[in-house]
Amino acid sequence: MARERTYVDNLHRTGRIFMILGFAVMISVPVTMWIVTGVAPDAALFFPAFLTLSALQLPGGIIEVITYSPMLGTSATYLAFITGNLSNLKIPCAMNARELCGTAIGSPENEVVATLAVSASTITTTLVMTLGVILLIPLTPLLELPVLQPAFNWVVSALFGALGYKYFRNNPKLIAVPLVFMIAFGLLLPGFLVGNLAIAIVIGAIVSTIAAKVLFDRHFLDKEAQ
Amino acid sequence: MYALAAFVTLFILGGSLFFARNAYVQSKKLGMSKELVKKAVVSSVSFSVLPSVGIFIGVITMSGMLGIPLPWIRLSVVGALHYELMAASVAADGITLAAMTTENLVTIAFVMTLSILWGGLFAIFFLKKYQTKVISKATGSGNKGFGKFLFDAVFIGMISAYVGDAVAKIVKYDTRVVIDGAYALDGMGNYILEDHKTFVPIIVLLSAMAAMAFFDWLIRKKQVKWLENFSLALSMIFGMIVAVVLGIGGIY
Repeated sequence: MARERTYVDNLHRTGRIFMILGFAVMISVPVTMWIVTGVAPDAALFFPAFLTLSALQLPGGIIEVITYSPMLGTSATYLAFITGNLSNLKIPCAMNARELCGTAIGSPENEVVATLAVSASTITTTLVMTLGVILLIPLTPLLELPVLQPAFNWVVSALFGALGYKYFRNNPKLIAVPLVFMIAFGLLLPGFLVGNLAIAIVIGAIVSTIAAKVLFDRHFLDKEAQ
Repeated sequence: MYALAAFVTLFILGGSLFFARNAYVQSKKLGMSKELVKKAVVSSVSFSVLPSVGIFIGVITMSGMLGIPLPWIRLSVVGALHYELMAASVAADGITLAAMTTENLVTIAFVMTLSILWGGLFAIFFLKKYQTKVISKATGSGNKGFGKFLFDAVFIGMISAYVGDAVAKIVKYDTRVVIDGAYALDGMGNYILEDHKTFVPIIVLLSAMAAMAFFDWLIRKKQVKWLENFSLALSMIFGMIVAVVLGIGGIY
């Protein structure tokens, strides 16, 4: 007899269906361009470019799913991997909501909070973009004002500064090692770090996890674990 | 093209609303309070507005070569600016705006769309297995409670990487030159770089952090509860204002 489908099974099923539909919608864009214009893509240009990018995106994509999906939970992972802008928006957004709501990663409540956070964030981005396109003509000169450029150039630095404070305050013992490590990394190999931030994030996560595990095993985190 | 973009936008909106509705129904089953649900939604919306404007500026950046609709679509589904700029330059490979043909545009659209599907494909096939085998074990009681720290540690590693990134830019910050919405390449096929080393990102980061500390103090000591959902957005605005002020002072 087949096993009865659980709530989590259903989440995966819905997520997968959504993702496949998402892929279909995405692929329909260049295909429609092809059909409407009657002009096929240039294979001589397409394949080298596709292979070059895939060489980066295939391992990158796998690492992203492994690193980010625990923070997002089930539904939010499927949604976020269709809507994009993960490290600079969806992940911090979900972690912020989790922090405010006080839910534990892996709990059913956190699944709800993360899904709501990523949905709300996606809807916000979509509305801002749509509004931006509609108001493009009056908005472009404003957004391209030289005086405003630094603000949007560094919005991600501002985001991680603000969010960093909360995490650093709540986990003082966990910060020291990864922070010192990444600052040293930045000073010693600045070009590599800036050029390969996605890899640096994974290295940071690994260093931070090893440091936390050592602290945990040596009972330095016993008070926090209560 | 605009019709396609509208279609993609509607799909994303519909999907998000569908997931949000499911989550809301589940929240009721779990007996979660309405306040909690509201908090998750309101804080996420206020959190997302400014980065979204940043993403929209990415559309303008890319529109030089590709027009508005394609960047709009690409940054709505799976995209992220640095990837799309790279994709545009790899696929365009020396094509200039003046020489851009329909064939080039169709090719670029295919490259951008297909090369980024890998993470999602992996999620379709392996996320469930990964969750049941690895994550449940890590967060379960089997690991003697380390799970509680595991994901905080991962996220702190991520934040540290961004701090390291801001520090690195003090020493060296090679930016790829963007011409007509794609990274420019030199005759040898390498990216054209300019060193723009700068103190601004670390100052912005620390300013936003200080602002957050101040808001946190207001929330916790002065009981200004309404700030809770907006403190991050306001701290970001403060950091961005600092960047503008530095810029006016000639520091970029």
